[in-house]
Amino acid sequence: MFGTHYRIERKSIALAVAIMIVASIGGLIEIAPLFTIDDTVESDPDMRVYTPLELAGRNIYIREGCYACHSQMIRTLQDEVERYGPYSLAVESQYDHPMLWGSKRTGPDLARIGGKYSDQWHTAHLKNPREVVPQSIMPRYNWLSESQLRTKHLGDDLRALRAVGVPYSDEMIATASADAVAQASPEGDIAGLGERYGDATQIRSFDGDSRTVSEMDALVAYLQILGKLSDAAHQPPTPKE
Amino acid sequence: MNIDHHMLVGFAKSFGLFYLLAMAAAALLYACWPANKKRFDKAARDIIEDEDKPWR
Amino acid sequence: MAILVVLAAVGLAMAAAGAGRADPMQTHGFIVLLFSLGFLCVLLNGYFAPEPSETRLESYYDDPSKAGIVIAMAWAVFAMFIGDWVAWLLAFPDLTFDAAWSSFGRLRPVHTTGIIFGFGGNALIATSFHVMQRTSRARMPDQFSPWFVLIGYNLFCLLAVTGYFMGITQSKEYAEPEWYADIWLVIVWVTYLLLYLRTLARRKEPHIYVANWYYLAFILVVAILHIVNNLAVPASFAGAKSYSAFSGVQDAMTQWWYGHNAVAFFLTAGFLGMLYYYLPKRAGRPIYSYRMSIIGFWGITFFYMWAGSHHLHYTALPQWVQTLGMTFSVMLLVPSWIAAANALLTLNGAWHKVRDDATLRFMMMAAVFYGLSTFEGSFMAIRSVNALSHYTDWTIGHVHAGAMGWVALITFGSIYAVVPWLWKRERMYSPALVEVHFWLALAGTLIYVFAMWNSGIIQGLMWRTYNDSGTLTYSFLDSMVAMHPYYVARAIGGLLFLIGAIVGCYNIWMTIHRPSGAPAPSDDAPLPANLQPAE
Repeated sequence: MFGTHYRIERKSIALAVAIMIVASIGGLIEIAPLFTIDDTVESDPDMRVYTPLELAGRNIYIREGCYACHSQMIRTLQDEVERYGPYSLAVESQYDHPMLWGSKRTGPDLARIGGKYSDQWHTAHLKNPREVVPQSIMPRYNWLSESQLRTKHLGDDLRALRAVGVPYSDEMIATASADAVAQASPEGDIAGLGERYGDATQIRSFDGDSRTVSEMDALVAYLQILGKLSDAAHQPPTPKE
Repeated sequence: MNIDHHMLVGFAKSFGLFYLLAMAAAALLYACWPANKKRFDKAARDIIEDEDKPWR
Repeated sequence: MAILVVLAAVGLAMAAAGAGRADPMQTHGFIVLLFSLGFLCVLLNGYFAPEPSETRLESYYDDPSKAGIVIAMAWAVFAMFIGDWVAWLLAFPDLTFDAAWSSFGRLRPVHTTGIIFGFGGNALIATSFHVMQRTSRARMPDQFSPWFVLIGYNLFCLLAVTGYFMGITQSKEYAEPEWYADIWLVIVWVTYLLLYLRTLARRKEPHIYVANWYYLAFILVVAILHIVNNLAVPASFAGAKSYSAFSGVQDAMTQWWYGHNAVAFFLTAGFLGMLYYYLPKRAGRPIYSYRMSIIGFWGITFFYMWAGSHHLHYTALPQWVQTLGMTFSVMLLVPSWIAAANALLTLNGAWHKVRDDATLRFMMMAAVFYGLSTFEGSFMAIRSVNALSHYTDWTIGHVHAGAMGWVALITFGSIYAVVPWLWKRERMYSPALVEVHFWLALAGTLIYVFAMWNSGIIQGLMWRTYNDSGTLTYSFLDSMVAMHPYYVARAIGGLLFLIGAIVGCYNIWMTIHRPSGAPAPSDDAPLPANLQPAE
């Protein structure tokens, strides 16, 4: 009795192991090479990292589920390049934990939205999209300008991102909260901010209200930086294939 | 590192085919092995004729 | 009981930690606390109950299955309601009542998680408990672990869904819950796997019936997918936010390896397990070809894992990976159609039952939709087709052909079959209502799918249309305005489907609550719903 029982049990475990082996190989083969890919795709030594304010904005973008309707990936198709700009390169999302390539365009692609519209346009559009674009079906986000951005623990976020490979320095982590405030309410250590994150950093009150740093500030700061962290895509084309 | 990547990609590109063939052969052999037929038929029938309680 | 106490303590700790920084995790801590205290009361109540008799060991342990089915139906109605709401939102965007929690972006994961994990997951757990005991001729080895799995799993679903309302999300599609919910699911899932293996170890026959293979693949592979895709570093143990271990192109590949195989092993393998038990049982005929079911099994287990990259055609993913994904997606058609054909051929010779018995017709139609949507899936994975279909509503139509046509129909069919068996009723309360549900579900699915096919293809064509001077003809806005009538049609289709599910709930409720001896209300359905094949 015990003997047969043992044999039977072994069989179900053998089945389980077989399933695991058969199933995992496909994924291993496809994913493993991608982790050594850094050397074979474009690289951009001048790639900027997100400032704390932009990162906070990105987290709001995630929180509100914007990715459900907006992609951030311009495919290598002519009509997409003409509509949205140069096609997206792998290097441009190398610091995106997680990536926000999206899977659906209920609204347009946002990979290169940065700089296309003014801050005022974005603020008005987020408050009530139909005021700016009457046919829009986007939800209203009018509360964003009233909710104060929580900047106190942004250092933790930078530290976690450093743990997964984004090159934030100790100094950046230490000054994260102050930097977030400084970027949106142009007072404080602006020189230091530019030094840490590069001169191209956009420093201004994004929602037009410089008294407080709101979630609107952060989200607009993020939208205005999309597609502008790296110039790699605008370089003379180096065919990928 | 570069060689590493090429090696991995090369492996990924070539190995898949052989693996696929071996897998298909193994699954087909198992399923069509004559000795297994009786067992399969019994298994298929057994669920229909079900006495509604555990065997022990 | 000790576990519940620990859980309550964890909940309290989470609440306290979250409160420290006013993080939304605080709310989740309280939910965990209340949840565990609630079940603690139930358990304490049971502590004073008389010792259960030994005779219980002579029957299967079905209480968790019963509970699971009721919970699954509750999730179905909730999540379909949310789904229909977001469908109306796309046609009339101001139906959010100006609240933060009700915007499309936050409700969408509520719908997807509620359907996939709430409805689908509970139905899978409930039926797998039923099937594994019957096919093994063995009672589950203990009474605690099935309850732990079922209740623990629902705690996960609850954390997930309430989190989205508050904006707690990882943004990884179909894997949105944050790190603590993910860890909890791993614990629950390992218990589930052990329970399954332990029950199989008690079986009578050396051969394991093929339905169990599919359930086992579902449990195992979902565990692998879940763990790998959710690797992340929390920003702080006192907060909900975490950052994925992967970035950019690696993250995209990992995510769609997960996303596609969640479809494969959650929404296909598990439900094929259901099909391979309930369909032959209900039809009273053994499966047409047991060999085909085995070949199909290994085909699906093997091929699906390669196919994920077809979600990333023409993106920054290296092209060889895209090509590999496309090739395997096309080959995937073979095992998929083997399964669909096997199901339909089983019904050969029993077509009169399909005509008369709506429950069996649910399963038949599910197999048809399974065949259709797997064909569509392979077709859409071809690069040049994908160039048109990707990012459009066609994808949504495809997903819903699978989710409504295959997953939901097979589930409803199985539930209608299993409810009378579990509750020892002669048949469902009203076969006529099963019939009503069938036609509502079918009509809803067809309206939905046709609306989305139309809108998706129109959208894709408008985006790439050039005029004579060589510039793009339509602005994005033009394409969006053109979608409006289809969005309304889609929402109506969804509404029909939702009404069908509500009818189903009523029918199940009445079946459970009608005393088994009482005569069924007379109606003109020609055959009793519970066809025992031995008769």
